[in-house]
Amino acid sequence: MSFPISPRSRRSDGPSRRQVVAGAASGLALAALAPVAARAETLVDFVRRVTDGVAPVEGGVKLEIPALVENGNSVDVHVAIESPMTEASYVRWIHLIAEKNPFPDMARLHLSPRAGRAEVATTLRLAQSQTVAAVVAHSDGRYAIATAPVVVTLSACIDGG
Amino acid sequence: MTGALRLPALLLALLALTGLAWAGDVVSGSTFLSPELRRQQDDPSRNPAWFWVDQGTELFVRKPAGGEACLGCHGDPVATLRGAATRYPQVDAASSKLLNLEGRIEQCRVERQHEPAFGYESPELLALTAYVASLSRGLPMSVRTDGPARPFYDAGKAFFERRQGQLNLSCQQCHDGLVGQKLRGDTISNGAGTGYPAYRLEWNTVGSLHRRLRACALGVRATQFDYGSPEYLALELYLAARAKGLPVETPALRR
Amino acid sequence: MFNARITLPPQAKPGEIVEIKVLVRHPMDRGGQSDGRGGTVPRKILNRMTATYAGAEIFRIDMNTGVAANPFVSFMTRAIETGDILFEWREDGGATYTRTARLTVA
Repeated sequence: MSFPISPRSRRSDGPSRRQVVAGAASGLALAALAPVAARAETLVDFVRRVTDGVAPVEGGVKLEIPALVENGNSVDVHVAIESPMTEASYVRWIHLIAEKNPFPDMARLHLSPRAGRAEVATTLRLAQSQTVAAVVAHSDGRYAIATAPVVVTLSACIDGG
Repeated sequence: MTGALRLPALLLALLALTGLAWAGDVVSGSTFLSPELRRQQDDPSRNPAWFWVDQGTELFVRKPAGGEACLGCHGDPVATLRGAATRYPQVDAASSKLLNLEGRIEQCRVERQHEPAFGYESPELLALTAYVASLSRGLPMSVRTDGPARPFYDAGKAFFERRQGQLNLSCQQCHDGLVGQKLRGDTISNGAGTGYPAYRLEWNTVGSLHRRLRACALGVRATQFDYGSPEYLALELYLAARAKGLPVETPALRR
Repeated sequence: MFNARITLPPQAKPGEIVEIKVLVRHPMDRGGQSDGRGGTVPRKILNRMTATYAGAEIFRIDMNTGVAANPFVSFMTRAIETGDILFEWREDGGATYTRTARLTVA
């Protein structure tokens, strides 16, 4: 599927290594990837990193996110996964990736059989138009994925924050 | 085109050029939100603006060192201050100055509570203003524009109709003439301002109407006046008069 | 100033799956802006929220800068018994915040 996206901006002024290390030291479970000046990594690479190289299957994951948002500062995302959520078979976590954000790993939501249903929602910050991916880890070692393109438009009246 | 039709068509063309196309009725900014944002605004479990109202609720009962808490003079605000926000901006009888809600709260703070002013855009003033305005939610705007308010109203109206800035645009051209059309990702509203202080996604926080006016000014490359300036106060009175009858929506959610 | 709005159903039957909605007041400052002194503003976000109920952690979210300011999160949980759900947040730098909300199960 094709959609209008702004040209990928190369961030040569990414966060300092100190900031990245500080972030890691505060106990993040996520891999705090420092964006390199000319980022060659793509969504496939980010996904592979969280699945330890295992290819995720498409299916059983419903990722709902608006196709067009008027402001990237707060974007609703809703993920529902078909799963019995029993001790025998449940969703362990849902990992959200924005391929063109300075830090593509956005959040990881951890569940257990106590959830009853694998359904979560949160608000994300998107830097520009891009694909958002929800990578799902099942208790039996399988991974699943759903992706959605989002067009992020600009507000007319920006006052510098 | 026949002679009979030529004059009205010419008039239409002239009207379009001057930007005075049919205004229709002024409607609330909520009308121009996407369905998702509208739902979020109306859901108290989702609209972050309520945090500032919560903070205002606490500040209202907090006793400052120099005097009474707001509660001490006003009593139960739900009873005594409901409807107050619909009448602002208004001319202060004692000083003859035009005061908006922020200005009245600061006046109370300095003159009656004997405390230093909070300052425009401070979290405390935003919180108290949002709280007091929220007490009038659903009530129709109803400011006075006669008597001592008349000169301020006229100044505000002149400001609204005057072309400004590098882009040489007047408020009226967009907010009367181009309502419903797109400006980048935004849909142009009437500029009713009935939801302020409001949480703006652009700011990731609650901000005042004057902050929003300054953002508009930047957009057309015009002079940004100060928070609480006479220019913006007069404009605020004119906007409030334009919004007569529209319900107060504070705290609103905007882009 | 941190604050949280937690929304639960007023009551749930045992075994019923309920939605827990959490809205938090926090700027989630992603940092990186110039601090005017040649350096950059450090990141300061809530990097984790956990929810504990009826003896176990029922939900956890690890957050990075891609989570919005004043973030919202919702998740599901099975109603087991009347009791408090304990919410804990951890902020960059180590500060923690807690709130509780009572789930009535009848």
